[in-house]
Amino acid sequence: MDLLLNNLAFVGKGLLMTLALSLLTLFFSTVVATVMGLASTSRLRTVRWSVRSLTELFRGLPLIVNVFFIYFGMPIFGLELSPFVSIIISLTIWGGANGAEIVRGGLRAVPAHQLNSALALGMRARQVLLLIQLPQALRSILPAYVGMLTQIVQATSLGTLIGVTEFMRSGQSIVDRVTVMDGWNPSFAVYAGILLVYFLICSLLSGWGRRLERRTSFDGHRDAPPATMVSPEIAAPILKAQT
Amino acid sequence: MDFDVHYIYAQLPALARGLLVTLEVSGISIVISILAGMAGAAIKTMRVPLLTPLLNGYVEFIRNTPLLAQMFFIYFGLPSIGLSLSLFWSGVLTLSLWASAYQIENIRGGLVTVRAGLHNAALALGMRPWQYMRLIAMPLALRVSQAAILNTSISLLKNSCFLQAVGLAEITYVAMDRIAMDFRTLEMMLVLGVTYLLLVLFMSLFSAWLEHRLHKPFRM
Repeated sequence: MDLLLNNLAFVGKGLLMTLALSLLTLFFSTVVATVMGLASTSRLRTVRWSVRSLTELFRGLPLIVNVFFIYFGMPIFGLELSPFVSIIISLTIWGGANGAEIVRGGLRAVPAHQLNSALALGMRARQVLLLIQLPQALRSILPAYVGMLTQIVQATSLGTLIGVTEFMRSGQSIVDRVTVMDGWNPSFAVYAGILLVYFLICSLLSGWGRRLERRTSFDGHRDAPPATMVSPEIAAPILKAQT
Repeated sequence: MDFDVHYIYAQLPALARGLLVTLEVSGISIVISILAGMAGAAIKTMRVPLLTPLLNGYVEFIRNTPLLAQMFFIYFGLPSIGLSLSLFWSGVLTLSLWASAYQIENIRGGLVTVRAGLHNAALALGMRPWQYMRLIAMPLALRVSQAAILNTSISLLKNSCFLQAVGLAEITYVAMDRIAMDFRTLEMMLVLGVTYLLLVLFMSLFSAWLEHRLHKPFRM
């Protein structure tokens, strides 16, 4: 208990850093995911294929390798990045690729007859996308997206490895300091505490995601399309995004 | 910036040793996690009192905490209360605990699809619940959930590089170690990226082949 009280300010700072990293990553990945998700449903085959292969590339690489490549590899190309910026860039690439799959799944889950009807009513392609396809896609995208948010919060802990003082790193520093200064090893308590805090944050978020899922699901809706149109497209990227 | 192919050649033996460690640690963990997943899914489906809520809590906990924190807890936290494991086996423990949580849900998802009629029929034939589970439900469930199981196994393989953070000499560790010594960042990163992509590709192909193979009886 003393341990926590003595280091409250320090731990709080780490927690704020984790929060900042998560929010920034969320923002940038959303931008990337939207662009890539839309591009991967493009009518041009070249665009579609190159975006899809980029997505697969970034999902196939371990996130840590991605982080190390940005932090240690970019300087060879003359780009010196601070740990903070590198972790945001690498998490954005990873989150963007995973988000793109969610967006793509959501867009494809919108039944084709909706789009055809809109076109038949004389709407332009852009109007169909903005007024018909995106609002309906959001319904299946949102819950999956909240799920991804918990993954992002967890992934920010990788900042520890390249020296961003986020929540996890602040815990590590406490362990080091107490071991050297006070001569006992608080690893068990500190790491258990870290696990607990992450668990609280992430289970709140995933609980929220589940509630969203229940509220936005097609079941019980007046003009519900067949269930098969919704689930597999959305389920696949979530199952895959376990890094 | 110069790219030195000979440097990669020179480092191949060390990298191969690293790759072997990666494959060992992931292979053992994959086997353990699938076995644990089968046991856990069976327990959850049969609603064993006491164990089921315990497993629910376990799955939620693993899913909602970062793997890195779990690993530090196991490798640094447990020894401080007297439970110490070697580096390799703490790695196996971390990865297995992590993947088991996902495998339990994967296999449970498969068990849910097994029709209730089969359960009744098996009981009518005088099978005990665990016999039904082992002989009827589990084989059917594994067939349904093999894609998800292999997906988690692929994630496990990729996540084995987390172990470099505590110093297990797997391939990422070897590569980062060389980078720290010789500053041949580009070469090592390229080798690392290509290796992981090939491993993932190989496992995806295996998954596709297995799916094709398992659906043989159902094709016309």
